[in-house]
Amino acid sequence: MSARTEASGDDATPAARGTTVLDLQDVRKSFGRSQILTGVDLTVFKGDRHAIIGPNGAGKSTLFDVISARCAPTSGGIQLKGEDIARLSARQVRRRGLSRSFQINNLFPALTVFDNLRCAVLWPLGYGYSFWHKLAGLRDVDERASAVLEQIGLSRKRDVLASVLTYAEQRALEIGITIAGGADVVLLDEPTSGMSRSESDEAVALIRKVSQGKTLLLVEHDMNVVFGLADRISVLVYGRILATGTPAEIRANAAVQEAYLGA
Amino acid sequence: MKHWRFLLVLLVIVVAPLFASKGFALSLLSRIGIMALFALSYNMLLGETGLLSFGHAVYYGLGSFATLHVLNGLSARGLPAPVTLLPLAGGLAALLFGLVFGYPTTRRAGTTFAMISLGIGEMVAASSLMFPAFFGGEAGISGNRVTGKGLFGIDYGTPLQVYYLIAFWVVVCAIAIRALSGTPLGRLANAVRDNPLRVEFVGYNPTRVRYLMVVLAGFFAGVAGGLNALRAEIVTAEALSDYTSGIVILMAFTGGIGRFYGPILGAVVVTVLQVAVASVTPAWPFYFGLFFVLIVLYAPGGIASLLERRWQPRTLALAAGPALLLLFGIIGAVEMAYARSSDTGDARLRIVGIPLDGESRLSWVFVAAAVAAGIVLLKRVRREPAVGLQ
Repeated sequence: MSARTEASGDDATPAARGTTVLDLQDVRKSFGRSQILTGVDLTVFKGDRHAIIGPNGAGKSTLFDVISARCAPTSGGIQLKGEDIARLSARQVRRRGLSRSFQINNLFPALTVFDNLRCAVLWPLGYGYSFWHKLAGLRDVDERASAVLEQIGLSRKRDVLASVLTYAEQRALEIGITIAGGADVVLLDEPTSGMSRSESDEAVALIRKVSQGKTLLLVEHDMNVVFGLADRISVLVYGRILATGTPAEIRANAAVQEAYLGA
Repeated sequence: MKHWRFLLVLLVIVVAPLFASKGFALSLLSRIGIMALFALSYNMLLGETGLLSFGHAVYYGLGSFATLHVLNGLSARGLPAPVTLLPLAGGLAALLFGLVFGYPTTRRAGTTFAMISLGIGEMVAASSLMFPAFFGGEAGISGNRVTGKGLFGIDYGTPLQVYYLIAFWVVVCAIAIRALSGTPLGRLANAVRDNPLRVEFVGYNPTRVRYLMVVLAGFFAGVAGGLNALRAEIVTAEALSDYTSGIVILMAFTGGIGRFYGPILGAVVVTVLQVAVASVTPAWPFYFGLFFVLIVLYAPGGIASLLERRWQPRTLALAAGPALLLLFGIIGAVEMAYARSSDTGDARLRIVGIPLDGESRLSWVFVAAAVAAGIVLLKRVRREPAVGLQ
């Protein structure tokens, strides 16, 4: 079993005793002969802001890919709100309320900012593949997309093509698309990567705002962001979870110090 | 007025026959209309969904055949054929084939889609000789669209009535295609074109989006095919050949796939060129290819993008001379080569009054110099600061 240290009975983090939203048991993933995930056990509780940290190549992005069904795990179980999702497709996982962002901006570059968001809210609002509704007349779609536009601070860029936004704006839109559909479990893959300090601060404020009432799983390299934002932290090293706990516990953990933080 | 441009086009369509009542001009207009619809349907795939199909003629051709079969089937049983509605039969038939062929085609995008569409195009073209009962073999099948006294005396006996039949369906379908691009599916098609991976992560199946677009585009191609069947009263295997698939790519691309009206422009230009250039020179396919290459190289947004570019009069004035010189050189060379290859033994010709001779070295030096000078001068114009800035 993995050497994970649970916050046991400690009432410092009330959310930790909440219901389990996402649960991984012994999740493994290999590409050919190279094993990326070598047995991940992870429990994410409802309403938590849970960060995954780890050195480069530890398998953080692969872990996200497996959870969000971008690729299937080689073995192991993944439950989202009690339902097994390990064999579902990415869209099926999305429809069950889990949404993810990408480390490298993954937008619809030739669509306007507003249309990027509209695409993200169409399925949850039940429009399916409709070719009989007039998009411009869908008030619920407009309202929801506008609200997200406001939240991510891009109202003035509403009709600008996503490809001509600045990098930080594209990062914000990346988060906007991820949360627009109203998923209650949100995975953010290095949301502040490539940002300046001030941009990063804004991004953290944005993440705080949009993750309210949701469960957040976050991969992040910037330790200021992680320790400022997360309720719980898991440390991924060589494809397995080395430790899980509150920021204070992780800081004090000798194994983590040795493997990662102290390095 | 929001729709003034549309109303203007509508007006032109309605009054055009007043100025082109002669058989030839009217037939040209009819063909332009049909090709415009065909190219619009093609752009639902290429421009909207990012699918480069090499086999769109399958739907056009099958729509054509189906329309004539329905017409002939009704006529043979002595039933009145609702000719006005027959293009819909072509559309529905193509839609059914789209449901079948679209399934294997749309599994993947990109090169895979292009190759499978090519393969299916070849398969269907080959079946036209395997099933003579349906396709009529080499001769194709023919029909008679005049099936009796029509409503209000419209029996489609005259080319003018056929023109208005075509105009009606082309306008209706163009409006529908335009409206479709403003629906959730239309926007998702754009999203699939831009980034199919992300489409998965907003809850959609990109394959399903592609499939629906192929089926719907097939329907409109089928209507275009049906209209052409009624216009010509004959369909041959050429309707579903790779030539027809190629010409629609040419039209959509030269017109501009990034704008709704681009393919319409392309259909107008290509059809007119086809007829006009072909009537002047046997070398027309060569010019055609050259034209296409130049558009792709220098105006990838098509003619639509050229129209929307803000040209500076100075640029145009500077470029016109060298461009004409280059054009003269190219035409001279091509025509001399053709003249040499003809059996008459006489390779003399005149281009804008200038005598050239395919057998004369001097003529060849002359056109080569024109080409070289044209290219050099055009490059100079490109370097002009005023041109570079725009």
